[in-house]
Amino acid sequence: MFKAAPSKSYPSVRMNPGDALRRRGWKHLKAYLFLAPILLSIGLFKYTPFVHAFVQSFYEWNGANVDRFIGLDNFTNLFQDQTFYASLKNIALFTGSFVVIQLTLPLLAAIGVFRLRQAGLQSFFKSMFVLPMVVPHIIVFLLWKWIYVGDGLLDRLLGALGLESWIHAWLGESGTALWSIVFINFPWVSGIYFLIYLAGLLAVPQELFEVGGMDGMNGLQRLWHIELPLIRSQLRLVLILAFIQQFQSFENVLVLTNGGPGFSTLTPALYLYKKGFEYNELGYASAIGVVVFVVLLLCTLAANRFIKPADQAE
Amino acid sequence: MKKIGTWANCAVLTLLLLLTLVPFYMLIVTSLKYRDQVIHEFWFPALPLHWSNYANAFVQLWPFLWNSILITAGIIICVLVNASLAGYAFARFSFWGKSLMYYLIIMLMMVPSFLILIPQFILFKNLGLINTYWAQIFGPMAGASAMATMLIRTFFEGLSTGVLEAAEVEGAGDGRIYLQIALPLSLPILSTVAVINALLGWNNYVWPLVVTSGDKVKPVILALSSVHGSLDQVQGLQFAGYVISSVPLLLLFLFATKSFVSGITAGAVKG
Repeated sequence: MFKAAPSKSYPSVRMNPGDALRRRGWKHLKAYLFLAPILLSIGLFKYTPFVHAFVQSFYEWNGANVDRFIGLDNFTNLFQDQTFYASLKNIALFTGSFVVIQLTLPLLAAIGVFRLRQAGLQSFFKSMFVLPMVVPHIIVFLLWKWIYVGDGLLDRLLGALGLESWIHAWLGESGTALWSIVFINFPWVSGIYFLIYLAGLLAVPQELFEVGGMDGMNGLQRLWHIELPLIRSQLRLVLILAFIQQFQSFENVLVLTNGGPGFSTLTPALYLYKKGFEYNELGYASAIGVVVFVVLLLCTLAANRFIKPADQAE
Repeated sequence: MKKIGTWANCAVLTLLLLLTLVPFYMLIVTSLKYRDQVIHEFWFPALPLHWSNYANAFVQLWPFLWNSILITAGIIICVLVNASLAGYAFARFSFWGKSLMYYLIIMLMMVPSFLILIPQFILFKNLGLINTYWAQIFGPMAGASAMATMLIRTFFEGLSTGVLEAAEVEGAGDGRIYLQIALPLSLPILSTVAVINALLGWNNYVWPLVVTSGDKVKPVILALSSVHGSLDQVQGLQFAGYVISSVPLLLLFLFATKSFVSGITAGAVKG
């Protein structure tokens, strides 16, 4: 298969120059043979569409017979599109609340699990909090749709508590739909962020906590002075990951409200999807994608500057 | 004082856990009921338990489960082949354009999937791959290979070079070193990558929604709402379907807990 090259380990063996050149060339070629499958697949299935998306954002395009260059028209229209601004406002709320959520209750649970003395109890809680991750996201969304539906779980719970006046068509009213989506999966503990915190805490040398214990710290002081500073890099990681994840995802909205009622829960990614696949305005949809990509890139770059110290702390 | 703290801690954790599990408890309880049982006894299991819901839902969902298994397996295999070959090249060779190539691959992780959704769909349409398994494998596989390459490269670089060099001196070519030494030594990272992609493949929703139309190659996630039955049974049937389609990942969790947990966190940390 590959020619064995014993002389490679013994560079003192004399070769004529042409032979050496061929050997060097073969080495580069060999590397690219190993890279061929991945380069082919990302080149064809990712970079081609990536470039195509940028190109088509300058076209009026319906995916079939209309494909006309229109310069910056898509972008000027987009910047005057009230629906687009509404979707940006929604995604800001979804992303902001998601980040805050992931920085609180999962952290609380991870610290709680970490502080448990008995190893058995600790691994029980850990497994039980991880277990819900086997349920596909879509099923979680469908389940919450059922919780919010009229006369569903939430309404019955409110009825049982004597709070009938609070009952709403949760996903059907523009006033409640947005916050109903934010509250999906309450109390938000299961999942990767919980595991990230817990892994960070478990990596902290145990002596640090013993010193803290001897100083007679109470739980809150311990949290504030020891645990939080030690998992600072995890906190920053979660901040960035949660931001990127929520900014991109639109499956939750697609399943629960499809952006409605009206445009009250529409997000930019879902707007792109609808423009592309429901209205066949593929050029315009590409322009949405480009603008959102640039926004996302700028945010990530800003966050990366901000995260630098955390990498060094690791 | 300390005692009280511990008890409070346990109480808070238990409360959080109960709240987390309530929807799943309701899912299982409701999946065993007919409609009149849901109306009369909403919160608790009601006798008789209708296990037949599961049998009926399974019969309806089986072809789609099989589709999902094939697609997920396809994604895992493609990603492992792509990423382990690439990881080997990056870890073992120095070659022209090495860092450029690496950045080209890693940068994919910055490209949001919605940006390329439409041109990717057009591409697969032009390739005549709409409504095939291939579309559902190739689309996610290419993007997922990026992170896997990063994980596997790091692992390969950590392998003891002594073994590899010894093999080289013995006269083993790179093909053999890769197959017979590097891969077998890397089972932990390979299984982590496999778990990441099992979760990814099983959870895929938007892409299959876009590239499939008929029932033939649909994954189970898209078929959930099409589970049908008499009005009296349909909700229980659908919920049984939800449970059934979670079972493969549950099995993965039970039999590979360690890889599962490392897969989730590695996926998060690098993705």
